[in-house]
Amino acid sequence: MKKITPKFIKSKAEARAYSLWVVNYFNSCGFLELLPWVGSGYDMERFGIKAVGSPRHADVLIVAGYITKKAVKRVKMIYDQMPSPKYVMALGSCPMTGGMYWDSYSTVKRIDKYIPVDIWILGCPPKPENIGHGIVMAMKAIKGGFGGH
Amino acid sequence: MPKKIISYLKHSFPLSVSNVVSEGNLISLSVKKEQFYEVLLALKDDKMFDHLSDITCIDYIDENEFELIYHLWSHIKKLRVNVKVRIARNSPSIKSVVDLWAGAQIHERENHEMFGINFEGNPNLSPLFLEDWEEIPPFRKDFDTREYVREHDYGGD
Repeated sequence: MKKITPKFIKSKAEARAYSLWVVNYFNSCGFLELLPWVGSGYDMERFGIKAVGSPRHADVLIVAGYITKKAVKRVKMIYDQMPSPKYVMALGSCPMTGGMYWDSYSTVKRIDKYIPVDIWILGCPPKPENIGHGIVMAMKAIKGGFGGH
Repeated sequence: MPKKIISYLKHSFPLSVSNVVSEGNLISLSVKKEQFYEVLLALKDDKMFDHLSDITCIDYIDENEFELIYHLWSHIKKLRVNVKVRIARNSPSIKSVVDLWAGAQIHERENHEMFGINFEGNPNLSPLFLEDWEEIPPFRKDFDTREYVREHDYGGD
């Protein structure tokens, strides 16, 4: 059997960073701000990012907008179906602190109590540029060897 | 056109119809609980109010009453009617109008969940939005959402 060389590990990480397939869990305004990335304006496919239909094909879970206590069970179900290595991005201040729904009886205040989050993108909602910044940060970290969960 | 409907209702239900206000194409009136079903039936069958837009509820906690408002719309007459019914707050229960408008089902289910009102005759009043809910219904005035959040989400601080 051939030895796994550091060069192989590096190229594997690079290949992983340039082929992030995402599955979306969108609830609200976060979706509208990520839409420019789907179209030709920001064009996420030039980074190798592709939206897939099934969580079983995905590397990245994007949680955008507020998550209700009923929905968080479904988010967890989607997360559990994804194969390792997997990464989670949380968009906007709602999954971070509850955002403008901080005193609501039905929303989750911190999503990382339920699933581990790797990248938080700030904003209410975040601008497409902020999302791009987060994506580039994620790609750099994965290229540098960050293995996710 | 609204005048005809108002005089018809006042003539047919003199004891239970009160507080009739008419403005533009909107008529709003209060009905006693005993006769509210008959009033809605008359509006639907005789006056062609074929669409139930919504059922809303107001919690008058000081008067110990709930007020249910049935929003009716007539496609033919282009008229709206708000029928208001007061029910007791302690054991809120009222006859369902699913057999008049099938679309009432989802509104009654929501009001049952958010205010705890029992609609007699509704086939399915299972929870719609809330799962594993153990407190009092959240839209009632005596439900303190900040207190609930402090206990359940912020660890009691």
